Amino acid sequence: MSYLGEELRALQASDETVFDFIQESTLAGLWYWNLAGEEEKWATPKFWRTLGYEPDAQFNQAAAWRAAISPDEEVATAEYVAACIADHSYSFDQVVQATCHDGSKVWLHCWGLVLRNSLGQAYRLLGVLVDITRQRNEEISAQEVASHYGAILGNQSVYIIRTDAQGNYTYVNDFFYERFGLDSKIIGTSSLMSIIEEDRPKCLVTVGLCFTEPNVPHQVILRKPYHDHSVKSNHWEFKGILDGNGEVVGIQCVGYDVTLLVDNLERSKQLLALTNQQNARLQNFAYIISHNIRSHSANLTALVKFLQNATDETQAAMFLDMLKTSTDKLAETIINLNEIVTANSMGVQPKEMRGLRQEVSRTLEAMNVLIHESQLTVNLNIPEEVTVQVVPAYLDSILLNLLSNAIKYRSANVAPQLTLDSYRDGDYTVLTVADNGRGIDMARNQNKIFGMYKTFHDNEDARGLGLFIIKNQIEAMNGKIEVASEVGVGTTFKVYFSEIV
Amino acid sequence: MFDLVYVIEDDFITSKITELYLQQHGAFKRVQKYKNGQPALDALHRASDQPAKLPDLILLDLNMPVMDGWEFLDALSAEHLAKPVPVCVLTSSINPDDIKRANSYSAVQGYFIKPMDAHLVDEMVQLLA
Repeated sequence: MSYLGEELRALQASDETVFDFIQESTLAGLWYWNLAGEEEKWATPKFWRTLGYEPDAQFNQAAAWRAAISPDEEVATAEYVAACIADHSYSFDQVVQATCHDGSKVWLHCWGLVLRNSLGQAYRLLGVLVDITRQRNEEISAQEVASHYGAILGNQSVYIIRTDAQGNYTYVNDFFYERFGLDSKIIGTSSLMSIIEEDRPKCLVTVGLCFTEPNVPHQVILRKPYHDHSVKSNHWEFKGILDGNGEVVGIQCVGYDVTLLVDNLERSKQLLALTNQQNARLQNFAYIISHNIRSHSANLTALVKFLQNATDETQAAMFLDMLKTSTDKLAETIINLNEIVTANSMGVQPKEMRGLRQEVSRTLEAMNVLIHESQLTVNLNIPEEVTVQVVPAYLDSILLNLLSNAIKYRSANVAPQLTLDSYRDGDYTVLTVADNGRGIDMARNQNKIFGMYKTFHDNEDARGLGLFIIKNQIEAMNGKIEVASEVGVGTTFKVYFSEIV
Repeated sequence: MFDLVYVIEDDFITSKITELYLQQHGAFKRVQKYKNGQPALDALHRASDQPAKLPDLILLDLNMPVMDGWEFLDALSAEHLAKPVPVCVLTSSINPDDIKRANSYSAVQGYFIKPMDAHLVDEMVQLLA
């Protein structure tokens, strides 16, 4: 088929339409310079049209050449041309920015060919031009976009990470590295493992959603250790990254620190719980006060009426006696209420350090007579060195109540024993007070045991206040009290003293 | 006529006053006092199949040691008595939750707030008539 090629070559030499067709349809222009002598320059009409000139109009071509190429570019081009002439291995290949007739800019890619005569001297330069303005502008705009997003990705307040479909890091922004004290070594490692263990199931659920609904973002709050080993809560938005087939190939995650928010929320919840608890306690208190005072006042009114209508001396004496008992009880109730109000008025009572064994010993000494009378055996197993942070008056009250309860509710069938011990449980020092007394029916009294005016045994001097008051005192010191009991076996109280100063 | 009335009340004086008011009223014959729900329940249990020995009315306080009014009402619901025994709650509690809870028991015919007096006894008799 080579005859067609040969024919085209010949045709092109003889018929100028072939040459014009090729260069007009493919090129933005073509020029042909005379390198010998006067440096004359010729260019195709398409070349001038590219630069915004009307080829048929009369214009100063020398001036147009100068206007099109900036002096710097012209110098560079001249050096380039000189190099191509001097060295055969050089080929002319250059991108220049040219200025059009109307001042607008075009980017032109030029390829040049140095033509040499039979002596090997360069005498012509043939140049072809392709307009690459559009590509060049796209490139510039792509660079701008890249630097714009680069700035966003590297910003100082949002974490941006990407993982593959298996959850391994594929991209992490600088802020994330910096905040968590990490570097690019984490790329390719599992992102899941960097989250604290309890939050991992939650993370997996959210990732699962990205696979089932990849088009919408899914939100989750996850905790992660910070570089100073504190744990930070971060709010994340996960979204599936799709490939051309609509398959999820990764997860895009954008997050920010919400530790402060989460902490504040938690604090508010705690405050609310505390307020609710105190409200409930106050309301309960109000009902009980009304109950007690009303009982006594009703009795007093009735007794006075009976006394007025008494028919004989004996009857009158009986009512007077009952009246006295009733007023005594009213006075006692008022003293009790006063005690409760004092225990509840959570004024800032200073905590002090006390030796637990020493304090227990002191209380036992004060109760010496009672202990002796009841033949109580006390096993004091609290180590000498154990200390507690307490409001001293509260500790006195707590010990007195628990120890006297152990005596009051001792069993009639066995020799009474009381064992006191202590151990450490996290932030608490725990005091255990275990007796072998009558015990409390826990199934029946679980919810009443620390309630106000609740008594569990048919005991005349039970006020139903002791455990209520000490529970308040223990809670005022940020502690707690627990009880385990079995009827006929005994009762064990555990008092938790908070050691957080 | 109420041949036998149980008064279940832990406070000795209140219990005595209640007894005196009941005795002043012609409708009541015999008053039996109990310190809390447990001995009263034991007595009911012993008489459960003898209608003549069962009380015609129970006056019940709520807050008591050993077995309180609620526990007594729960236990009473489980007893199979030869005749129904109406209960009137007699308490100082004005807590609306207590009133609602008491009325949820079928045995409870009335809820009376202390103080006990002759007028309250009249009211009670009318209610049960």
